[in-house]
Amino acid sequence: MIPTLPIFSRALLTPDLSFRTLVDAQAETASNGLPHLMRTTRFAEARIRWQGRRWLLSMPLTPSALPCIERTAAAIKRLNTPALTDYRILPGELCWKDHAGIEQHCDLVLQHLPEGKDFDQALLTEDRDTLLRALDTLEKELEGLQFAHNGLKAGNLRWCAGRIVVLRYHDARIGGDRRRDTEAFEALRRRLTEASGPQAANDISAHYNPIRTLDGHRWTSHLFEGLICVEDETGFGYVDADNRPVIESRYLWADDFHEGRAEVETPTGMGLIDREGTYIIPPEYEIVDYRPAESIVYVRRDGRWALFDYMGRQQTEFGTINECKS
Amino acid sequence: MYTQSITRAHRTAFVLLIDGSGSMTEQIRFRGRLTTKADAVAAITNDLLFELVERARRDDGVRDYYDIAVLGYSGDDEVRALLPGGRKMMSVAELAACEMPVRTETIEHRMPDGSIALREILAPGWIEPHAAGSTPMYQALVEARELTSDWCARLEHAASFPPVVFNITDGEATDCEADDLRAAAERIRSLRTADGHVLLINIHIAADERNRTIFFPSDSEADYPNRYARLLYDCSSRMPEVFEPMIREAKGPGAMPPFRGMSFNASAAELVSMLNIGSISVKTE
Repeated sequence: MIPTLPIFSRALLTPDLSFRTLVDAQAETASNGLPHLMRTTRFAEARIRWQGRRWLLSMPLTPSALPCIERTAAAIKRLNTPALTDYRILPGELCWKDHAGIEQHCDLVLQHLPEGKDFDQALLTEDRDTLLRALDTLEKELEGLQFAHNGLKAGNLRWCAGRIVVLRYHDARIGGDRRRDTEAFEALRRRLTEASGPQAANDISAHYNPIRTLDGHRWTSHLFEGLICVEDETGFGYVDADNRPVIESRYLWADDFHEGRAEVETPTGMGLIDREGTYIIPPEYEIVDYRPAESIVYVRRDGRWALFDYMGRQQTEFGTINECKS
Repeated sequence: MYTQSITRAHRTAFVLLIDGSGSMTEQIRFRGRLTTKADAVAAITNDLLFELVERARRDDGVRDYYDIAVLGYSGDDEVRALLPGGRKMMSVAELAACEMPVRTETIEHRMPDGSIALREILAPGWIEPHAAGSTPMYQALVEARELTSDWCARLEHAASFPPVVFNITDGEATDCEADDLRAAAERIRSLRTADGHVLLINIHIAADERNRTIFFPSDSEADYPNRYARLLYDCSSRMPEVFEPMIREAKGPGAMPPFRGMSFNASAAELVSMLNIGSISVKTE
């Protein structure tokens, strides 16, 4: 059952009663004290502050909204790029009671909203050539990732730390047709060319930097449970807060640690490791999708899904559950 | 039929009829709490208006996807417009531009030790609870018919999704006989655009010993013990087939069509979520 917008609004005002994970989130409100909502084609969206950062929290407006983004959300987790921000589905995050008093749950979508400014604001404050170069860089990055956003416009772009970050991946496809994006980039360049240029020269640069600077690595993530995922010449691995190696950089890809587990990818497939780098689920599956809030793992083999528990024990036969969704 | 997307080029209309008669002082259990029918009606109406306004809010502002009318009926056979400025109908963008009154709503929740606690939160408050006088429901339906008839007659609405009329009531009309009410409802339901007939949805608020709630009932579900249940069921539109899969999903396993556009002690805001409001610019499925 899809919740109504009054249910979403009430939940944002009572996060401790209505959310599973975002229990201490604070919604941005309008002057009347009610959460400020906005909708996209398939989602209603609110801006929240949670764990010291700002996020976009989206609620599906139709039953088809979430299945449309599941593959994209799973794929984005494996893309290490500063052009995109954290984008994840929170299974069963919104809880409410229906007319009959029966508890209902709905998945929500959480996306990090980096500090900085909206693209339209940047048009007024930043140098035009700088923004044009940033657009070129963004387009090349998205091309390299084969990422088709399918909704590129000023409202979905954010200027932070000297680069443009793209938001809202509800219509995005990995490996999809990028013609719409190409046209959108051209429209944005035209708009930039026609803009009058910066109105203020003393703008303060935003602090957002999705790439932490730890010496000696190609790329670094953030600190999660005492470990930082890093990319080196030999692959992905983990270091501690003092940059000392903890788990050797040998994976094709690796995710951050949550509740003592992290998804990794090797040439033989995806698996799940513990904090010592020991495989809890061996790296032999197409997809390993770990849900820390539920302590379960969705595992796909030959296109069929099965459930594993936190200890890596198989709970269901492959093909006995539907595609990876709550 | 009933497949037209609701867009700025193809707007629709929502007409809300609100029973504010003296019988609305009666207490009922609604959303788990003891409250008056008038409070329940106000809560349902405000939720519906909130759903409609926020569904139309995009990054470039509130888009004019539909027109909205809110008529209250009560007092001395009085039907009056409840929208700001006393206007009978306004666009959703106009309504959103008006300052939204805010009320305090009390919600109930269970503490870890099992005890019940109350918490006050803010909620939209366009409509205040009202309970006085008679129930001129027939006259309200007549006025709703005039509004929707005029709306459907306009050339720019010819291909639109047809208007939806919500009648929120405890069922006790005082200005007509039951057959008159059925006839008035039929006259509303007979209006149409090229996309389908006007939908009349009755939201029935009444005391019930078993605290049951019903929405989009099938024929067998409309026989709950209330003297107005069958009358309101008869007055309500049969829900078009295109909505049946969504209603079945919302109602749960075992729900069998045909369904009527009606609810008992429940909101019908879910209906709004079933409409295709706003154009889909990217085909991704």
